[in-house]
Amino acid sequence: MGCASSVPDRTARGPNGLNPGGDGPSDAKNLKVKLVLLGDSGVGKSCIVLRFVRGQFDPTSKVTVGASFLSQTIALQDSTTVKFEIWDTAGQERYAALAPLYYRGAAVAVIVYDLTSPESFTKAQYWVKELQKHGSPDIVMALVGNKADLLDRREIPAEEGIEYAEKNGMFYIETSAKTADNINQLFEEIAKRLPRPDTSQ
Amino acid sequence: MASDSTSSSSDSAYDSAADHNPNSDTPINNHDSAIDDHLTSLTLTPLDEDLAPEKEREIEETDQTPMPEIGVTEVEEEAADVLASEVVVEEERESNSVSATGDVGLAWREEEVEAPASPGSSGYAGERGSSNASSASGIEEIGEDQVAERDGGLVNGVADSQPAWIPGKRHVNEDDTSILWRRRKKHFFILSHSGKPIYSRYGDEHKLAGFSATLQAIISFVENGGDRVKLVRAGKHQVVFLVKGPIYLVCISCTEEPYESLRGQLELLYGQMILILTKSVNRCFEKNAKFDMTPLLGGTDAVFSSLIHSFSWNPATFLHAYTCLPLAYPTRQAAGAILQDVADSGVLFAILMCKHKVVSLVGAEKASLHPDDMLLLSNFVMSSESFRTSESFSPICLPKYNSMAFLYAYVQYLDVNTYLMLLTTRSDAFYHLKECRASIEAVFLKSNVLSEVQRSMLDGGMHIEDLPVDPSSRSGSASSHLGQHSPERFRDTYTSLGGPCGLWHFIYRSIYLDQYVSSEFSAPINTPQQQKRLYRAYQKIYASMHDKGFGPNKTQFRRDDNYVLLCWVTQDFELYAAFDPLADKAMAIKTCNRVCQWVKDVENEIFLLGASPFSW
Repeated sequence: MGCASSVPDRTARGPNGLNPGGDGPSDAKNLKVKLVLLGDSGVGKSCIVLRFVRGQFDPTSKVTVGASFLSQTIALQDSTTVKFEIWDTAGQERYAALAPLYYRGAAVAVIVYDLTSPESFTKAQYWVKELQKHGSPDIVMALVGNKADLLDRREIPAEEGIEYAEKNGMFYIETSAKTADNINQLFEEIAKRLPRPDTSQ
Repeated sequence: MASDSTSSSSDSAYDSAADHNPNSDTPINNHDSAIDDHLTSLTLTPLDEDLAPEKEREIEETDQTPMPEIGVTEVEEEAADVLASEVVVEEERESNSVSATGDVGLAWREEEVEAPASPGSSGYAGERGSSNASSASGIEEIGEDQVAERDGGLVNGVADSQPAWIPGKRHVNEDDTSILWRRRKKHFFILSHSGKPIYSRYGDEHKLAGFSATLQAIISFVENGGDRVKLVRAGKHQVVFLVKGPIYLVCISCTEEPYESLRGQLELLYGQMILILTKSVNRCFEKNAKFDMTPLLGGTDAVFSSLIHSFSWNPATFLHAYTCLPLAYPTRQAAGAILQDVADSGVLFAILMCKHKVVSLVGAEKASLHPDDMLLLSNFVMSSESFRTSESFSPICLPKYNSMAFLYAYVQYLDVNTYLMLLTTRSDAFYHLKECRASIEAVFLKSNVLSEVQRSMLDGGMHIEDLPVDPSSRSGSASSHLGQHSPERFRDTYTSLGGPCGLWHFIYRSIYLDQYVSSEFSAPINTPQQQKRLYRAYQKIYASMHDKGFGPNKTQFRRDDNYVLLCWVTQDFELYAAFDPLADKAMAIKTCNRVCQWVKDVENEIFLLGASPFSW
């Protein structure tokens, strides 16, 4: 984007990009997955993550620089655990060229837009296309309409989001990081949809 | 030139000093006699001392005059006219008619004016002054100094006390048509060579498109004549220009800072932009001259505003040196050892900092980190709130290291003020750096590094009240440590006087180490505006000592209404000391020698010694 020439030297990058390192591999009972959040700046990616990981919400907006790394483990009903290693990327335009660094090798992509902002919905579609082209082929994708608490300012009707998600093989959910609405559900739903290693081996 | 007469840069005198002390190994006492001779020769009799203040004040005024010659051409005068009609006339009126009280109150508590933003009344601060001044009075005492304070540029920032300062853009609603905007003491602009605004300290960039185009017109008008505009003086205002390829930087200021200082600030501002984007951003302009750069800098207002704020309190911005957190030698060694292990595992730079002070720092072999890069990097990290929430991995560029390429910075706060930065060239190194951080943290826990850091934050570094009384009696004693305040320190006796012999404050810069140490502020330099005024005085004297036109000065003794400033530059160090304006010159010189001895005594606690990355 804008400044594609400032992309770092791609050859310097290892084959797997930023993929989880040594500390204990996934097994059938304890999954470890790399998850990346993408979306326009200000849609609430960091708020969703901080709500999920720490149960906090900070209304003062803090612009993410580069990408933040957080992890959170959830237990599912079938007694398996899923450890999410989350890359919360910066939505700023200058980091767009660096996004492959963070989404390469990701098993899950959460694409977030702001229900009150049509531009952010357009940007979400850009990220979906980008991941379809360059992401892992079996990546699980979620389309998240955030800021569901701002009912009276909604610009994107739910149907539009659902329709777009269905067309692109994603699942759709509306969340509010502010009220915590649907935040855990989002990650539980992702966990359910993850391919299990024992079925593939 | 005028300053020369007082500052006695007579070469012969200096040479004799230099001969005695060819390097830092020489006992510092030799310096003592040298500077004694050197400076006392200026004051031959006590009578002379009485005359001195007046003479020096006069010089203070006259030495302003040579400035405008710098880089000002005939063409620029025309440019000045253009500008005068655009901006400065307005400002002149302001400075003449605005009541000082109103002005100070107005800008001091900028939030107050923000909400109404209705300069429509008449723009005379006097009218609104009463309410603003009263609202400000809670924060600052407007004393008899108010005019001087105002002239000293107190107004240019927000509340300049560090704790009260909040990063981020202010006055977004203003533009060049609003009187408040015009009244700001110090503007910074970044624009593209096609005149598109990129950054403005105050006001919304897009609304300033017209103003930005005017600046561009001035620059290109001069360039078309085969010349380059550096400085325009218009009344009390200086307009400083810096051209960096397709990027233009402009500062408009009535703070009376020297041209060199303002230019240095523009250089840092440019460096900060490069840190965020790398110089390859220039290619965007090759492809499209009208390229709009503002989206690329989205969300970075706080980074720039915090840098600009540091121009009024952080000596690193003009000394081009960094400062260390005072720490017991073994503690710093322990921190350095583990950082060295990490650096050996393929990390380019491992830096541990507490606020803007370095705790320890290690670079890979042959990699050197410029103090300006450290300043810009720590400013970037400290002003970007998101680093505090979780560990981050972010591309950054160190402009003096390699302005074309990104490095990758792993950043993690270890406690509320202390943060670790691991820099690498490898974009896939995150998990390795994460492991490095874990091992570093484990070592810090074992050797109490973080608790020592916190203790040092509370204790502070060099308190002038602790200046050893008689250096000769304690020379060779290795027992002096910081933070071991003797109970008989007479702190109470000194509270109104500052340190011994009227010493108020000092900054010592070690040339070989690229480091400086500054004494803690204490009475009477204990309000933010007094600290800022002293900062400006240091900045000015630094510029005059390093003025190429006048040849490097070696010593300077300057007395004005506010201070005696004594400044001494050798091959090894630079010392800047501020005294009570009534301080005795001979005593001041003696005190400076004691300060140097003191610094030498505690150097392994206040400096990072043996840091290889600076050996270029």
